[in-house]
Amino acid sequence: MKKLIAGAILLGASSMAFAQPGCGVGAMIWKGQSGIAPHVLAATTNGTFGNQTFGMTTGTLGCSTNQSVQSMAMYMDSNIDKVARDMSRGTGENLDTLAVLLGVEDVDRADFRQVLQDNFAAIFPNSETTSGEAVDAIVALLEQNESLSKYVAA
Amino acid sequence: MGYLLRTGQAVLWLAGTLATQTAFASNPHKLHEHPVWLTLGHYHENSWGSGHTSQADDPGFFLSEDGKTNPKAELSATLEAIQQPGEGNDHARCRFPARDAWLRQQLDLPNEPVSCPAYEDWAGTLNTEKVTLVFAASYLNSPSSMFGHTFLRLDPPQDDNETDLLLANTISYAADAAEHDSELLFAYRGIFGGYPGITAIKPYYEMIRLYNDIEHRDLWEYTLNLSQPEVDTMLAHTWEIQDKNFDYYFFDENCAYRLLALIDVARPGTDLLAEVSTHAIPSDTVRWVRDKNLVESIHYRPSAATAVSHHLDSLPDQHQTIAAAIANGFVQLDAPEVQNLRSGEKARLLDATYDYVRYQSEADNWPREFAAPLSHQLLVTRSRIENAESIPPVAEPAVRDDQGHDTFRLSVGSGQMAHEEFTQLTLRPAYHDIVDPPEGYRTGAQLQFLRLDARLYHGNDELQVEQITGVEIRSLSPRNQFFSPTSWQVGFGGRRTDTETDRVLAPYLEGGAGGSWSLGDNSQAFAIATADLEIDDDIRRGYDFAPGADLGLLHQSSRFSLLGGVKTKAWIVSSQHRQDQLYLKANYHIGREFSLFTEFNREDHFDRYQSTWQAGIHAYF
Repeated sequence: MKKLIAGAILLGASSMAFAQPGCGVGAMIWKGQSGIAPHVLAATTNGTFGNQTFGMTTGTLGCSTNQSVQSMAMYMDSNIDKVARDMSRGTGENLDTLAVLLGVEDVDRADFRQVLQDNFAAIFPNSETTSGEAVDAIVALLEQNESLSKYVAA
Repeated sequence: MGYLLRTGQAVLWLAGTLATQTAFASNPHKLHEHPVWLTLGHYHENSWGSGHTSQADDPGFFLSEDGKTNPKAELSATLEAIQQPGEGNDHARCRFPARDAWLRQQLDLPNEPVSCPAYEDWAGTLNTEKVTLVFAASYLNSPSSMFGHTFLRLDPPQDDNETDLLLANTISYAADAAEHDSELLFAYRGIFGGYPGITAIKPYYEMIRLYNDIEHRDLWEYTLNLSQPEVDTMLAHTWEIQDKNFDYYFFDENCAYRLLALIDVARPGTDLLAEVSTHAIPSDTVRWVRDKNLVESIHYRPSAATAVSHHLDSLPDQHQTIAAAIANGFVQLDAPEVQNLRSGEKARLLDATYDYVRYQSEADNWPREFAAPLSHQLLVTRSRIENAESIPPVAEPAVRDDQGHDTFRLSVGSGQMAHEEFTQLTLRPAYHDIVDPPEGYRTGAQLQFLRLDARLYHGNDELQVEQITGVEIRSLSPRNQFFSPTSWQVGFGGRRTDTETDRVLAPYLEGGAGGSWSLGDNSQAFAIATADLEIDDDIRRGYDFAPGADLGLLHQSSRFSLLGGVKTKAWIVSSQHRQDQLYLKANYHIGREFSLFTEFNREDHFDRYQSTWQAGIHAYF
């Protein structure tokens, strides 16, 4: 099952010439976005620029050999704003997706959400935090947690 | 292994479905005329002469050299190829799994297992149980997106806690435009052909990011009631066409069209493509899918813009003021007016403010140096409040886009212009007038295409074209303490213009920009600075130009829509006269099928007053 999940992400990434997994800093949180793309015609006529690349532009991954952690790193790279938002609230679908990617069992999900919310300031110490740093911090936190450490074991 | 099992099911199912069509099966020589074969090959009857031509524009899609125009030759070549010994990714059985399954079932060929590693991996990764048609509605303040966009989402089994809809994959069909192409070239090649259309598979979270977050479009998810074998057939055919070129045309063979073909393949006999005439507007295709009883359930996913407005609206007035002050840097998070709030209230205030700051940063390019530290502080403060009740989610709109009035409008009316009686007929192929029934459409938005107004004057039995509207776009979006959108309008076409001695049909171009302010739930007041250009031989210098202003009120409700105001235009090049108008348009809606309309226009131009009024009925098809 883990393979399927990682595959699902890689399948999406492959259409965008995604960099090979490796260590990297990843996306900075709250980097400026370009706003509404001025594709008035494109919108009118239902065309989209098939080769447009947004989101996952910078290659990133924690250096973990754990495939689940790598999947989480990839997801964080393109959704870091939303993951941070849900984490600060201790609830939300992006947090659920992280749990799915790490394979966190239902019984541990409440703990998982709680740990991430309680340690938000440690995961995102400042506004320059990158997704790679956040992933490392999450892994470090979970490793110290008795019930959650199994999900990030290398 | 999954592939073998699933193909087996699909074949059993096909056998059941097609039992009624045994006429074809009993006569294998006619099999190439079978609707399923024609659908699988994307064959369509030629407009001129007999025979069929495939819409696929890729030699890789055909096994026969003249496969594009010869379904029979393609069938023979396919039959031969799938019966060749061997297996592996390059074998015809692996390249065309849907054709293979169908032919074997039709002709009772032995269905020996075949190993197709690439296809099996692909299908296994997609892990699809249900298919959802996703419709991206038009976005705020952009009527040009009104046609919407559609794509398919491949939903993994829902009872599995190791899968997730955000990670589900989507299939979309889009023009593969080169990034450096200008919009003009994009439009030209889109209309007359020249862009290859590609089938792209992307994770749903990326589509959410594009449509919900960047383009501010609400997403409607229509889960189809396709069975597992039907879903598997659709995937098998998707495999056949992915990476194959089908030239892209904006109006008919567009994003929506190719998806309809996939649904037709999944459930033979559905024949959604037969609904397409000259154009396939995505919102119309959703109606067809709904009307063919293909929809099992519907889910609404509000855009970032919809959600942030809702979150701000759900705060008490006083807290809205604090949110605006925090977002603009006038109040710090450790200020007493924030700290003294009860924890639940504080959580909702912080949530709404964060969403607003993020929205403005993306939509309005707030500088990162300001927005990022503020965003960080908001989240850190928020993370200290546990178990707060979150803001209730955005309620699903009572009327969906596909339940709004139909887009083709026919109107008949009669009235008087300067005491001359006339009867008027109006044809409006698409899409929405600001005074049409508003439900299912964006408030304050208008998009009309190719509208023709013709009048028969009773006095002299003269038939006159009153106006031809090429395109008319209008967007009135109210401003408030959080958002300051520009209201704007643009249009061109030909219209009757007064040259003092005559009314001549003159090409025109008009535009305007200004602001709008809400007056309660259904009403707004607007002020627009306008510019008009008219070109005609009968105008003294060949053209005329007028700066002007348009001040008015708009009321829209399910029963009644009203637009009224005053306009002034100063024609400064040729006529040197001011044209002042008082106008009123009222529509009384009878359901969403009909509207009774009345219009009144009082004009002062060339130092004379003239009134025009008209009443009649609009019918929507």
